[in-house]
Amino acid sequence: MSVGFIGAGQLAFALARGFTAAGVLAAHKITASSPDTDLPTVSGLRKMGVNFTVSNKDTVKSSDVLFLAVKPPIIPFILEEVGPDIEARHIVVSCAAGVTISSIEKKLSTFCPTPKVIRCMTNTPVIVREGATVYATGTHADVEDGKLLEQLMASVGFCTEVEEDLIDAVTGLSGSGPAYAFTALDALADGGVKMGLPRRLAVRLGAQALLGAAKMLLESEQHPGQLKDNVCSPGGATIHALHFLESGGFRSLLINAVEASCIRTRELQHLADQEKIPLAAIKKTLLDKVKLESPSLSVASASKVSLFTSKSKKN
Amino acid sequence: MEAAELWVGFVGAGRMAGGLVRGLLQAGKVPASNVLASAPSDKNLDAWRELGCRTTHCNLEVVHRSTLVFLATKPHVLPGVLEEIRPAVGSHHIVVSLVAGVTIQTLQRLLPPSTKVLRIMPNLPCVVQAGAMVFSRGSNAGDAESALLQNLLSSCGLCEEVPESYIDIHTGLSGSGVAYVYLFAEALAEGAVKMGMPGALASRIAAQTLLGAAKMLLETGEHPAKLRGDVCTPGGTTIYALHQLEKGALRATVMDAVEAATNRACDMAKD
Repeated sequence: MSVGFIGAGQLAFALARGFTAAGVLAAHKITASSPDTDLPTVSGLRKMGVNFTVSNKDTVKSSDVLFLAVKPPIIPFILEEVGPDIEARHIVVSCAAGVTISSIEKKLSTFCPTPKVIRCMTNTPVIVREGATVYATGTHADVEDGKLLEQLMASVGFCTEVEEDLIDAVTGLSGSGPAYAFTALDALADGGVKMGLPRRLAVRLGAQALLGAAKMLLESEQHPGQLKDNVCSPGGATIHALHFLESGGFRSLLINAVEASCIRTRELQHLADQEKIPLAAIKKTLLDKVKLESPSLSVASASKVSLFTSKSKKN
Repeated sequence: MEAAELWVGFVGAGRMAGGLVRGLLQAGKVPASNVLASAPSDKNLDAWRELGCRTTHCNLEVVHRSTLVFLATKPHVLPGVLEEIRPAVGSHHIVVSLVAGVTIQTLQRLLPPSTKVLRIMPNLPCVVQAGAMVFSRGSNAGDAESALLQNLLSSCGLCEEVPESYIDIHTGLSGSGVAYVYLFAEALAEGAVKMGMPGALASRIAAQTLLGAAKMLLETGEHPAKLRGDVCTPGGTTIYALHQLEKGALRATVMDAVEAATNRACDMAKD
């Protein structure tokens, strides 16, 4: 089986690294493409032994499972570009937040009658094989196609199938989750430093504490509230600290964060469905490409670009 | 000591004492005729007589005629009462103080040296036999006295022996805690009224909700966080409401309340 990544950024790098480390895929069976060769991840991919190309079409041709690993606003451009090369054999996996299966199927159906589409939401810790992934299968993706993806993603962490309407919530929780954790760890380390620990040690201990706690929870039948209680001796240090967290509304902040991320994902999806994306969301290299191919389109005057109607002069 | 031969006395006959005696009588722990209560006026004593208890205006009489003596006066009155009854207190007596803020050390200082002293902190729902009580023993009180008290008072609710340092915490948690629950019940009902339910119905439902939830906690022995999770359907009404409570830092506020009451109890005991 060969795997391709359209896009050679953080996600492609993390997945490629994870798959190769897990031994489910040899590096030479992986292809990644991007028009931007300056990305730091590009050299990382090359070093791994992944085939790197600037041609998205080459990636499609040499892959069975095709990951769309680009930012959500770019997806329509990509589908437009590689659509003609998509065959019935391909399993197209979109990892783009807020991009629906139906929008992808609609786009591809102009080129291929029964495109196999799977939508997935993963997260960056796939890089260390502790990812959290969910997926939903599209209209023409079979059970085996889903299982194939599940096997791949399970090699780099936890993976389970869900109904598509839950994916935005997953984005809010485990998609964005590592960022919440990094923020917490940074602050915990600050606390340690304030109380006298060297920074490196503080970071190491903070990370280990969260890792250990997460592992305990995953391996325990107990409720996190019970596990918390087990740490809190009466009148002790921990309960004093927890009181501070509660006073600061720690819990509600986390609930707010998950909610905000989920709602924003839906907003972006809604914007995409309306086929209007603010220019600022589009990378500069892609903008240049658009200018090159559609000189009649005045980028300076238009405040919004309609993605689905811009026709590429190349095929 | 058999309960039937136990002579129980109450110095002070106010609400707390009344609650305890009701529990004892209802559970059949002690016959009413074995109970003697004293108070300065008849105001409180009428209720006791209605229960079948004996009454008097003389504190010394209570001590003379009882083995187990509950001290249930107001704190500022107690030193005078102890001075009064001290001559009649003997080594056969078991003295149990319900008086808030008066330490075992103080009690032992004001009573004869060999007196068996215990200190108990009940809470208001003892009156309906659903109380929460903690008690500690003084230097001369032994396992027998502890067992006796526990046996008798479990008729009024939960009764546990604790180190004396927990008594102020119990005040903050459960003594005053009852008021926090009343506040919460009132707020729940008010929310319902805002949404269109008549007040009286809302209040009854609020109370039953608290009762039911507490009963489940006590009977299942499950962690409250787990029970809370069980009620929260994904994307449902409960989780939306809980989010509001978390935004209001309810947990921290409640912790603050328990802390404030406990600290105040400590401070008052020092006075």
